[in-house]
Amino acid sequence: MNLSLSRQRLDFWTVVTIAIIVMLSLLLVLPILRVLLLGFIDPDTGNFTLGNFIEVFTRNYYVNGLKNTLFVGVLGTVGACLIGVPLAFFTTRFIVRGKALISTLAILVLVSPPFIGAYAWIMILGSNGVVTNFFGNFGLDIPTIYGAHGIILVFSLKFFPFIFLMTQTALNAVNKSLEDAAENLGCSPWQRFYKITLPLVFPAVSTGAIICFVLAIADFGTPAILGRGFRTLSTIALSAYRSELGGPPTMAVTVSILMMAISMLALLAQRRILSKRRYASSLTNLPVPVRLKGWKNMLVHVLSHGIVILAMIPSAVVVYTSFLKTNGPVFVGGFGLESYQRIWRDAPEAITNSFVFAISAVVFITIASGLISYVIVRRETRAAASIDFLMMVPYLVPGVVMAIGFVTVFRNGFPDVFSAAALLIMIYFIRRLPYGVRSTTSSLRQIKPSLEEAAVNLGATPLGAFMKVTVPLILPGIIVGSLMSFITAINELSSTLIIYDSGTITMPVQVYVAVLDGEFGIAAALSTILLLSTGACVYAVFRFTENRDSAFL
Amino acid sequence: MASVEISGLRKLYGSVVALSDINVSIPSGTFYTLLGPSGCGKTTLLRTIAGFHSQSSGDISVEGRSIAHLPAHQRDVAMVFQDYAVFPHLSVRDNIAFGLKQRRIEANEIRQRVDQVMEVVQLGKFANRMPHELSGGQQQRVGLARAIVVRPKVLLMDEPLSNLDAKLRVDLRAELRRIQQDLGVTTIYVTHDQEEALALSDVVCVMEGGVIQQAASPLDVYLRPANRFVASFVGSNNFLDVDCSGAEAALKCGGEQVLLDLPNQHSGDAVCAIRPEDITVVPGKGSSASDRPEISIPVRIKEVSFIGREMEVFGVTEHGETLKSVSRSDPSVIDLPLDSDAQFCIERHNLSFFEKEPLGGRIG
Ligand SMILES: Nc1ncnc2c1ncn2[C@@H]1O[C@H](COP(=O)(O)OP(=O)(O)OP(=O)(O)O)[C@@H](O)[C@H]1O
Ligand SMILES: [Mg+2]
Repeated sequence: MNLSLSRQRLDFWTVVTIAIIVMLSLLLVLPILRVLLLGFIDPDTGNFTLGNFIEVFTRNYYVNGLKNTLFVGVLGTVGACLIGVPLAFFTTRFIVRGKALISTLAILVLVSPPFIGAYAWIMILGSNGVVTNFFGNFGLDIPTIYGAHGIILVFSLKFFPFIFLMTQTALNAVNKSLEDAAENLGCSPWQRFYKITLPLVFPAVSTGAIICFVLAIADFGTPAILGRGFRTLSTIALSAYRSELGGPPTMAVTVSILMMAISMLALLAQRRILSKRRYASSLTNLPVPVRLKGWKNMLVHVLSHGIVILAMIPSAVVVYTSFLKTNGPVFVGGFGLESYQRIWRDAPEAITNSFVFAISAVVFITIASGLISYVIVRRETRAAASIDFLMMVPYLVPGVVMAIGFVTVFRNGFPDVFSAAALLIMIYFIRRLPYGVRSTTSSLRQIKPSLEEAAVNLGATPLGAFMKVTVPLILPGIIVGSLMSFITAINELSSTLIIYDSGTITMPVQVYVAVLDGEFGIAAALSTILLLSTGACVYAVFRFTENRDSAFL
Repeated sequence: MASVEISGLRKLYGSVVALSDINVSIPSGTFYTLLGPSGCGKTTLLRTIAGFHSQSSGDISVEGRSIAHLPAHQRDVAMVFQDYAVFPHLSVRDNIAFGLKQRRIEANEIRQRVDQVMEVVQLGKFANRMPHELSGGQQQRVGLARAIVVRPKVLLMDEPLSNLDAKLRVDLRAELRRIQQDLGVTTIYVTHDQEEALALSDVVCVMEGGVIQQAASPLDVYLRPANRFVASFVGSNNFLDVDCSGAEAALKCGGEQVLLDLPNQHSGDAVCAIRPEDITVVPGKGSSASDRPEISIPVRIKEVSFIGREMEVFGVTEHGETLKSVSRSDPSVIDLPLDSDAQFCIERHNLSFFEKEPLGGRIG
């Protein structure tokens, strides 16, 4: 009896489970705990205190930051819903030409670097923007993009694809009989939509909305670039961190805790709402898109394509600008490659760093997500369940927070053994690991366990069975997961800003610095490179998946 | 080829007892079938032997050597899976060669043995196909070939035919038996299909509630069931209440009592088991006399179904018990109107007796 237990403890997957737990404790739990702890410590005396939180909730500077964050977070999410839900309805219920193009563009918007939207809109609607100047020529003074409304606009256009893609999937799964029944019972098409269809897809809409909200309040680049005095918690956390350099980052940490708390509360609220609404979908009677006629048809097409084109404008502007002739920071008219020459001359290391860090992190993610997924799917232990839970945490912890946690654990606490480069790779790894794990997990769930058992039964060791049978079968899932982590890792800005030093600047940081310096040419050229690598990955994901849209959620 | 010895095996899932005190001794080369209703623990026993879960206590040994604590991949017991478990990314040939490669057998020999086994299971022309290009029956042949090609000490099969259609099931069943006898490999086979169990096995082991009820030859299990459960699960059976005292059992039969000889002393309640095929239906009223070699039970006809060569007749006794009879179709019976009177006649030596409870033992 004892013998068999001790043997069980030492089997291969038990060892892997332990290794994963140790790794997650070090890279995920410990930094977050350190952040939590620091928030309750008086920086001067080192004693336990609630004073930091009292300060945050009483000083106008912080209270306004909190209000601003919630304001742009909520309105950005509402905006995304107002765009995403109708678009999903149009593409699933009506015959819309170029549906695949709409989805593809929405996905491109979803994965494009988050901060591109912000500064591209400056080039269009900023104080010296194209549109601003155009109206200025006629003596018209149109409002600029800076401030809360600009941030909300950018959030809405940046995050609507989450809502769109999730709602689209849900709408496709609504049993048409339910809608028919409503109509049969006397509902007009509009009543049918808001009394039956909308409630049925509400779980999907709310899940999308929570993702938008969490991303919006964690977003650093957009308010940093467009804020101009309008401060949100993430920009406050970063400047607090900068001003506290040398001492313990107490205020930065306290603000960070607040951000985490908001994300968690939002998630809990959504879970509560959803727990009462579980609709099993039966795929018996699938909805059939209707062909519209006349002006309705026109309107639906114009709106559907208009939305995604509008959302793509920033990327188009960025690519266009990168090919404009410049002299230093000034655009001198005509086309030229000066911007690219300048990054090649001044900042080639930003490009190599970005690729080196992202690829290194992704290599580890690929290996780890294979093993972690196996443990989550195949082992029914409590440890496996907690790993599954921990895989959700990185989605909820804003980059700024994670980075501050990393610095306090691995710089201030530890002997300084990790270089900035190592820290960046580690933080990309832990923050983007869930993308790899999610995709791999869902492929693994399709594989019958009897296949692995058959391999073991024929004499393969557990590791042998995993490598020879499981891995080849889940390879598409692993590849898609790795591509997704690569896309999100190479575009990472907020945590990099806290950790990088002179030798480890990355493309997103360089873009951010260039935008603050008014060097739009350089920013555009680097962003174009980022867009290209992102686009290439998206193309690769398309090649490896059958269900294109859901791979990105 | 090896003998298998299982002693005192128990398996708990939390507080659920899936197997309790299993003791089994399987001589080398035996086709040993585990038969029982759903949830009785057949799969659990088989997978414990394969090492996919560990026993709570007890021992399993093959050829006298304990394997109970070996990891699954070192046990050298080959398994054929219910869902085939053919590796979808490997060709038929590579699937079959998998276990041989695992055993680091030299390439030439692998080729030879794979070719040979593909002839045995008639897969020769499919060597280079991928699994999705095969039918269910062909995939299961791959599963079988893959298991036997490694020349395992013991072959385990968990309902290998249950995903196939009825006709194929019967064909493949005969083939399985032939292959097993040619190889002489000790085989443990799980099924809940009693016809399959009786047709294939040297020994049928009937399980219920994680306990072995009887392990014996097919004929013995059918003709001399060890207890009431086996009597009702293997084949079908009618049970009539009897009242025993000493060596006699009293069966209420119409208005009177018929005294039956018990093979063994017993007192109190018991049941008398009558196989449907032992009942002859005689239309009309009659009288039963204690001295005749056969007893006849007056019934009212409730249902007659004609199912081709045979007919099933259901009759209700005066005490409200339903009896089923199966016999050669007889137009004079089939035409009987509902609720008409008839006699169900049984020869006394075809009766057997069990204690009354569901798992009650055989009397005699
Ligand atoms: N992982 C598990 N956890 C808890 N109970 C289990 C587990 N697996 C099986 N059981 C229980 O153990 C008992 C035996 O299950 P087992 O799968 O061996 O039945 P079986 O005889 O193979 O049935 P079937 O003919 O339906 O395949 C059942 O009561 C089942 O509910
Ligand atoms: Mg079973």
